[in-house]
Amino acid sequence: MNRFVIDIKEWLLETARIFRHEMTLVFSDIGVMLFFFFLPIAYPIVYSLIYNTEVTRDMPVAVVDHARTALSREFVRHADATEAMKICGYAADLNEARDWMAAKKCFAIIEIPEDYSRKLGRAEQPQVQFYCEMSLLLRYRTFSSSLADLQIATGADLRERALDDLGMPSNGAPSNIESYGFALGDTQQGFASFIIPGIVVLILQQSMLLGIVLLGGTRAEQRRRLRGGGVTVFGDDASPSAQILGRALCYTIIYIPLAIYILHYIPLFFHYPHEGKVIEYVLFIFPMLLASAMLGQTLNIMATERESAFIIVVFTSVAFLFLSGLTWPVYAMNRFLGWISDMIPCTWGLQGFVHINSNDAVMGQQSHPFAWLWGLTVFYTLTAYLVTRWQTRRG
Amino acid sequence: MSTGLMTVIRREIRRLCSRPIYLVGMVLVPVAMALFFVSILDEGLPLKVPAAVVDLDHSQMSRQVTRSLNAMELIDVVEQPEDYHTAMEDVRSGKIMGFFMIPENFERDAVAGTGPQLTYYYNLAIYVPGSLMFKGFKTMGVTSAGAVVQTNLVDNGAPEELAGVLLQPITVYTHPIGNPWINYSYYLCPSFLYGVLELMVFLMTVFAITQEIKTGSSPRWLDAAGNRIGTALIGKLLPQTIIFTIIGWGMNSLLYHWNHFPMNGNEVWMIIGMPLFVIASQSFAVTICSILPNPRLSLSVCSLTGILAFSLAAFSFPVEAMYGGVAIFSYILPVRWYFLIYGDIALDGWAVYYARWYFVALLIFPIVATLFAPMIKRSLRHPVYVP
Repeated sequence: MNRFVIDIKEWLLETARIFRHEMTLVFSDIGVMLFFFFLPIAYPIVYSLIYNTEVTRDMPVAVVDHARTALSREFVRHADATEAMKICGYAADLNEARDWMAAKKCFAIIEIPEDYSRKLGRAEQPQVQFYCEMSLLLRYRTFSSSLADLQIATGADLRERALDDLGMPSNGAPSNIESYGFALGDTQQGFASFIIPGIVVLILQQSMLLGIVLLGGTRAEQRRRLRGGGVTVFGDDASPSAQILGRALCYTIIYIPLAIYILHYIPLFFHYPHEGKVIEYVLFIFPMLLASAMLGQTLNIMATERESAFIIVVFTSVAFLFLSGLTWPVYAMNRFLGWISDMIPCTWGLQGFVHINSNDAVMGQQSHPFAWLWGLTVFYTLTAYLVTRWQTRRG
Repeated sequence: MSTGLMTVIRREIRRLCSRPIYLVGMVLVPVAMALFFVSILDEGLPLKVPAAVVDLDHSQMSRQVTRSLNAMELIDVVEQPEDYHTAMEDVRSGKIMGFFMIPENFERDAVAGTGPQLTYYYNLAIYVPGSLMFKGFKTMGVTSAGAVVQTNLVDNGAPEELAGVLLQPITVYTHPIGNPWINYSYYLCPSFLYGVLELMVFLMTVFAITQEIKTGSSPRWLDAAGNRIGTALIGKLLPQTIIFTIIGWGMNSLLYHWNHFPMNGNEVWMIIGMPLFVIASQSFAVTICSILPNPRLSLSVCSLTGILAFSLAAFSFPVEAMYGGVAIFSYILPVRWYFLIYGDIALDGWAVYYARWYFVALLIFPIVATLFAPMIKRSLRHPVYVP
C-alpha cells in the first residue's frame, strides 16, 4: 500500500515536471507562440473584417424594356427600390445587355416584353424575364429573395386595380392568410453572424494542433541529434502517461483564457449573436480543448521535423471546416464521411457552441455533443499514450 | 562537375524522390482532398431538411398543409410537437432546423376571411439548410394563402380563369445563366479544390527552397546552376510545376468530365490557365521566401495566406461588398484569378476576351518574383538557419 502511494506521488511529480518544462518550451519558441497566441487572437478579427459587411446590396442590374410604357417603368422603379437591385441603365436590346453582363457592368438583366401593359390590361399574365449571372451564389440568393418580394408587392398593387375595374371589393378578396417568418440564431441573416461563431471554434482546435505538432517536430529533431550520445531529450525518461497528461494540461491551461476571448469577447466586439452564459460554453469547450491536446499528441507520430507541422496540419483546416457541418450539414454526407466527421473534436465543439451561442441552448440540450467530446478525449488519450510510448522507447 | 539547367533538374528529381514528404504534399494530399470534396458534395443541395410542424388546429385544412409541407423536396417533417416550446427545445438541441406553426382555428378563420396568421421559424445559425428551409416555408405560406384567395375570389363572383391570373398578375421568370440547377457544389467544389492546390503549391515550394537553407546545401545548389539564380529557381521548381499542373488538370477532368460540372465556354482556356496558375502560385511563394529566407517564417506566412485565401478570394462573399482595405488583399492571391477564369469561362461561358485581364494578372506574379530574386540569391549563398 505504501509503495503504491509513493508511486502515485512520483508520477504526480513527474507530471508536474513535464508540465513546467512544456510551459517554458512554449514561451521560448517564437514559432509555437505564433500559433498559440497570434493565430487565435488575430484570426477571428481578420475574418470579422472580411465578412463584417454581412450582406451585399444594390447590385447593378440592366433593363431591356420592349414595352416602354408607364406600367413597365413603374415595374422598373419597384425593382430599383428593392434591397438587392440598383438599375444601372436601359440597354437597347438583349445583346447589348449581355455585353454589359460579360464586361461585369451588371450582374442581372430584366427583360420586359412588348405586350406587358396590353396583357395587364386584358388580365392575362405577362412574363417578365430575369437573367442572373451565376458566378457567385450569394448574388443569386439575394436577387431571388428580392424578386419574390417585388412580385408579391407589384402583384398586390395590380390585383387591387384589376378588382376595382371589375367592380369587386378590392380589400375583401386579397390574401387573407398572412405568413411571417422568423430567423432564429442569425436574426440579421448576415454572412458573418453565421460563419464566425463556427470558425472561431475551428481556429481553437487547429491553432492548438499546429503548435503541438511543431513542438513534437522539434522534439523529434532533438532526439535524432542526440541519438547514441547517452543523453535523452527532456521528459523522454518519464512514464508516457505522465508525459501526455503534463503536456495536455499545459496546452489546455494556455487555451482557457484564449477560449474565453474567442468565444465571449469576439462576438461581443463585433455584435454577433451571443446568447448563453460564459461559464456554460467554457465548461462545454473544455473537453474539446482536452481532446484536441490529445489528438495533437497523437498526430505527433507524423512529425519528424519542425516544418512537417505545416504540411500535415494546415490543409486539414479546410477539410475539418466542411466535416464539422457548418457549411454543409452532416445529415447530407455519406456514411463514411459522417464517421470521420464524428471523430473530429471541433465537429462537436462547433455544433454545441453554435447552438449555445446563437440559439440560446442550455447545456442539457447539448448533452449529446458533450458526451461525444469526452468520449473522444478518452479515445485520443489512449492513442496519444501509445504514440508517446512508441516514440520515447525508440528514441 | 557539369552545371546548367539539366543538372539542377536532375539534382531536384533526386531530392524529390528521396523523402516521402514530397510525395505526400505534392500528390497524396491534393488527390485525397479532391476526392473528398467531390464525394462530400456529390448530392448537390442538402435536400430534406429536418423540420417540425406544430399543428394547433387539427383540422382538415391544417393536415392538408402538413402533408403539402412533407411533400416538398426541401423539407422533411420529422415530428409534430404539441406546442411552440417543445419545438423550440428541439431547435436548440439541434434535432430540427426549424418549424412551421398552424394557429388554432386556422380553418375556421381562413374560410371566414378573418385573417389567420401562419408563422414559421428557421435556424439560420446553420446557413445552408436554414435558408433552404426558409425557401420551403415561404413558398408554403404563399401558396396556402393563394389557394384561399382563389376560392374567395370565385365565391365573390370572379370568373374562375380570371381568379388564377389575379392571384399573380405578373410572373417573373428567372434564368440562372450557366447553373440552372442552382447547384451549390458548383461553387464550393472548384473553389476549394483550386484553393487546396494553391495552398499545397505554396507550402511545397517554400519547403523545397528553405530545406536547402536549413541543411546548408543551398551553395551547392547555386553551384550546380552555375551561380545563376534564374537557372537555379527554374531548375528546382520546374519538376514541381509539371507535377502540380498534372494534378490540376486531373482535378479539372474530375470536375468537368467525371462529375459533369458545367463547362459552358471553351475548356482550352481552363487548360491553358492551369500551368499559369501553378506558376503564379510558385512565384508568390518564391517572393515570400525572398523576403523571409527562414523555413518557419515563410512557411507560416504561406500557410496563413493560403488558408485565408478561402475567404479572401471571395468565392462565396463578393469582393465589392468587403471593406476596401481588406478587398485589396484578395487581389494578391493567384487563386482568385483562376477562380474568376472559372466563373467566366466554365460557368458563364463568356468568350475569353472578357477574361483577358485575369490571365494578365496571373502573369504578373512571375514578374514580381523576378524582381525579388536577387534577395534570395544572397541568402542561398550564405545560408543561416534559425530554428
